[in-house]
Amino acid sequence: MNNYNLSRRDFLRGMSAASLATIAGGPPRLLSAEPVKHPAATADTCILLWMAGGMAAPDTFDPKRYQPFEVGVPVEKILSTFPTIDTVVDNIKFTEGLENIGKVIDRGALIRSHVVADLGNILHSRHQYHWHTGYVPPQTVACPHIGSWIARVRGPNNPVLPPFINIGQRLEGNGEQEELKAFTTGGFFGTEFGPFNLPFPTDAADAVRPPKGMTPERFKERQAKYQELLKRSPVGELASDHHHESMVRSIDNAYRLLNAKERDSFDLSKEPKEVFDKYNTGRFGLGCLLARRLTEAGARFIEVTTEYVPFLHWDTHENGHTTYARMKKEIDRPIAQLILDLEQRGLLDRTLVVLATEFSRDMMIEGIPGSTARDQSRAPAQKLGEMKHYGLHRHFTGSGSVLMFGGGTKKGFLYGETAAERPLLTTKNPVSIKDLHATIFQAMGIHARTAFDVEKRPFYATEDGKGVPVKELFAKG
Amino acid sequence: MPVRLLVIFAATIAFPVVAADPPKGVDFAHDVVPILKTHCAKCHTNGTYKGSLSMDTRADVLKKAMVPGKAAMSAMIKRVTSTDADERMPPEGKRLTEKEVQVLMKWIDEGVTWEPGFSFKAKTYIASVKPRRPKLPHPNEPVHPIDQFVDAYFADRKITTPARLEDDAFVRRVYLDLIGVLPTQSELSAFLPDSAPGKRDNLIRRLLDDKRAYADHWLALWNDLLRNEYKGTGYIDGGRKQITAWLYKSLLDNKPYDVFVRELVSPTPDSEGFVKGIKWRGEVNASQVVELQFAQNIGQVFFGANLKCASCHDSFIDHWKLDDAYGLAAVIADKPLAIHRCDKPTGKTAATKFLFPELGTIDPNAAKAKRLERLAELTTSPENGRFARTIANRIWHRLMGHGLVHPVDLMGDKPWSDDLLDYLATYLVDNKYDLKKLMEHITTSAAYQSKAVAIAKEVPNDEYVFRGPEIKRLTAEQFVDAVWMLTGTAPAKPQAAAAIPPFGGATPKERQFVRATLVDADPLMRSLGRPNREQVVTVRPEQLSTLQALDLANGQILAATLTRGAENLLKASPKASADELVEHVFIRALGRKPAADELVAAHGLVGEKPTTDGVADLLWSVVMLPEFQLVR
Repeated sequence: MNNYNLSRRDFLRGMSAASLATIAGGPPRLLSAEPVKHPAATADTCILLWMAGGMAAPDTFDPKRYQPFEVGVPVEKILSTFPTIDTVVDNIKFTEGLENIGKVIDRGALIRSHVVADLGNILHSRHQYHWHTGYVPPQTVACPHIGSWIARVRGPNNPVLPPFINIGQRLEGNGEQEELKAFTTGGFFGTEFGPFNLPFPTDAADAVRPPKGMTPERFKERQAKYQELLKRSPVGELASDHHHESMVRSIDNAYRLLNAKERDSFDLSKEPKEVFDKYNTGRFGLGCLLARRLTEAGARFIEVTTEYVPFLHWDTHENGHTTYARMKKEIDRPIAQLILDLEQRGLLDRTLVVLATEFSRDMMIEGIPGSTARDQSRAPAQKLGEMKHYGLHRHFTGSGSVLMFGGGTKKGFLYGETAAERPLLTTKNPVSIKDLHATIFQAMGIHARTAFDVEKRPFYATEDGKGVPVKELFAKG
Repeated sequence: MPVRLLVIFAATIAFPVVAADPPKGVDFAHDVVPILKTHCAKCHTNGTYKGSLSMDTRADVLKKAMVPGKAAMSAMIKRVTSTDADERMPPEGKRLTEKEVQVLMKWIDEGVTWEPGFSFKAKTYIASVKPRRPKLPHPNEPVHPIDQFVDAYFADRKITTPARLEDDAFVRRVYLDLIGVLPTQSELSAFLPDSAPGKRDNLIRRLLDDKRAYADHWLALWNDLLRNEYKGTGYIDGGRKQITAWLYKSLLDNKPYDVFVRELVSPTPDSEGFVKGIKWRGEVNASQVVELQFAQNIGQVFFGANLKCASCHDSFIDHWKLDDAYGLAAVIADKPLAIHRCDKPTGKTAATKFLFPELGTIDPNAAKAKRLERLAELTTSPENGRFARTIANRIWHRLMGHGLVHPVDLMGDKPWSDDLLDYLATYLVDNKYDLKKLMEHITTSAAYQSKAVAIAKEVPNDEYVFRGPEIKRLTAEQFVDAVWMLTGTAPAKPQAAAAIPPFGGATPKERQFVRATLVDADPLMRSLGRPNREQVVTVRPEQLSTLQALDLANGQILAATLTRGAENLLKASPKASADELVEHVFIRALGRKPAADELVAAHGLVGEKPTTDGVADLLWSVVMLPEFQLVR
């Protein structure tokens, strides 16, 4: 009966695809002709901390030569606008403002060599689409988000909770919203595996409560009477039809969530004030707190984003340094706290926390050297004149930083390397989006070559099934 | 049981090769197939098996030619590298290059990975291009032609003819199918007691004649098919264009389908948005440039032909080739189009080619406008049976819940009745491509007007047996329209950029509202399955998902709408008793009166003295019933 009851480590053959959206070629079915043996999962939950807008590695996790602000300094001399700091791990240095994460990086791994595609012209949402689905748009089919892949293949961790929860991104009323919607989706897997969107962490509880203004008693009564009407509904033999049957089942599932004890995990007001305050650096910080609560309740995949809004937050086209000082304040404490709390609760071992972004930034280079990407800095200058010139205002795809904590990954581990001088390209162990996804999938017990039959052709979890997990990142084998 | 277990165990042992290790570079589709095709396929695949060696499937090659993981021990490698004239393969002609041998060895060493489902054996069924006019089984009997074919089909398979649908269910179904909304109470009470024998036919004609209601409803299908949306990706930097005004007018005018498609393929500025595709900023994969989007969309929408594979390499799932996709793409290309195979240039330039070359050619040297004109002509030629069959099948699918060919985009597959599909296609052509005529023809058949059959589980196409119409789920727009109509909460103004005429004189007041198809998608509609329309969409989700159910259970949009609706109802009938309100809602939502026990339950929701909350809860409980959300 249970749709999610996939045998995870066995050969998967001929799974039926109930509850899936039918698309042009019929509902996607897991392909069986070429059996894929899933790896043993080292994590049951994945939390993706998304640094939306392109977080500059040289001003965060990959410090380079520091150049303080001085009027008249030629901008080409600038690599990092923050001084380097030590972390608890000898060979890992961060930039100033990330002291708290620096204290917990002995629980995690840092990849400095994440190389994303240069798409010839920068459009944030397009690179974000690529990162989140593993495929560069446009595509001939609606590609599922990585969270949907995990939801589809692993199913919910706790059947009451939606398997893919998306925290912090508004999809209405901000720039590039249509482009964001294009990848914030279950795609060909259908909405059963699509995101459960919680743009405001403090309002998350409303998403699992009776509608505004309805008392719990009234809600219960409404459900009871509805059930009576349903029972009496003269549908006859049509009740056995799959449309009918799945509708009743989904309505039951929804009601179950709205009445389950897990509901409380959405409610930040249940958190002690001192803990709430520790996380409360803003929406992102509270998103981390919500992610922790949901992980405790048994969520499968959670994304927490700093939120993508064109030209805001990490998307610095001017005044980068000042903005980064603020952004680091916003993320540093809650991320470190999240790691510590998960560890203290014994959850970190089976929870993979990934921090990533669509690309890095640089003072001078758009894309990579030789790219056709046009200059998008809003504060171009030959020499520093005022603070707005000071920051990494161009989008750089040649290297970037990713953090991974828990879920079977190595601790206090540094992977990959970038050049000391511009261009700050990856010099060792490049990790593509494909391979990074394969690594995440591997931890989650999903083979990178897992394929579904979409319109009669195989559609793979990683592009063309070619992602290769970075084995060195795993603690064991 | 033990035997079965043993088999599974043995299979596990036999193929350790596809274990956790990811592929190390050799790709079956892109690296191996071309070599096998060039050097081996002629003698060892698709019916020709020299030396009784078949290479059609992975299982076949493992029988004789190779040992997974052991290239050096594999007969194939020995033979292709042998210098012995009796041993060598291929026996004559060009040998494999060293590089090709390396690829094959690596492939074998990596375990002989195979594209799931791929076989060199050609499918046995070949969909014909030419139109065909099947003979009516009983040309002299006064039986609806569709039913003559269906009855013959039933008789052949000893299937009991489904019973005729009762009037109340019929009227709900036909309203939703033809104009997308529920009948009003006045329309119900005019239709149900009517005893005239032609009343169903008359109703069908009247619905199809309601130009605005028809256009408002079918706009959803065509927006999906033609990838047209009022907001969406691509508009942000001018890489996309709407065709809303043109499309809406075409539907209002019931433009003949051949003219309609000619105007899309060889467009005016008003209709060019479809062929222009969506252009993203920056570089895209060679198979996704706008020219190939054009080829894919033309292929999918008008011919149910999937050129998505063939845009990258010769398709493995059907007979479309890279040259077919590029040949079509070249028609719209402004400059010579370099053919890319798997995103790498092949050094060749695309030559214009129509998908069905037997119908004619397109002069590559003609100007682009002329080429498009010629393509439009070939596409819509009466000799192009595939064109008429594809749309006839789509309409049949919409009305009957299941295609004659299903899924509807795989028109190369065998229909469950060739005769019926070919008949419908020629009927459409004979009637000057009048889609309303086709809809009228289908909906006046006994096949359409029979009871729905329950399908417990969808079955693969080749196992499908037609037993009667299937249940359909309300589309997002139909659901929202039904709620708006029931509660009087529709938006005041349309957002679609089209010239929308006033309602026809005979339109009942309750149906005079702005339909969901005419406004931007809100989160509720999106949740219920109105697509983003970045890709062509031809079928909506058939099942309600948990997240959708959650949106319906506690989402603010529906909750607020129902509360406003309750206020509207109470304002309109301030003196109504609870039972009167229940009856009012049941008739409008379900097209019937509540049974006694339903009345008791529903009465409990409303309360002795009706309140806004009580009525809102009644509305919710009714619109959540499968009886409401499904078309039976």
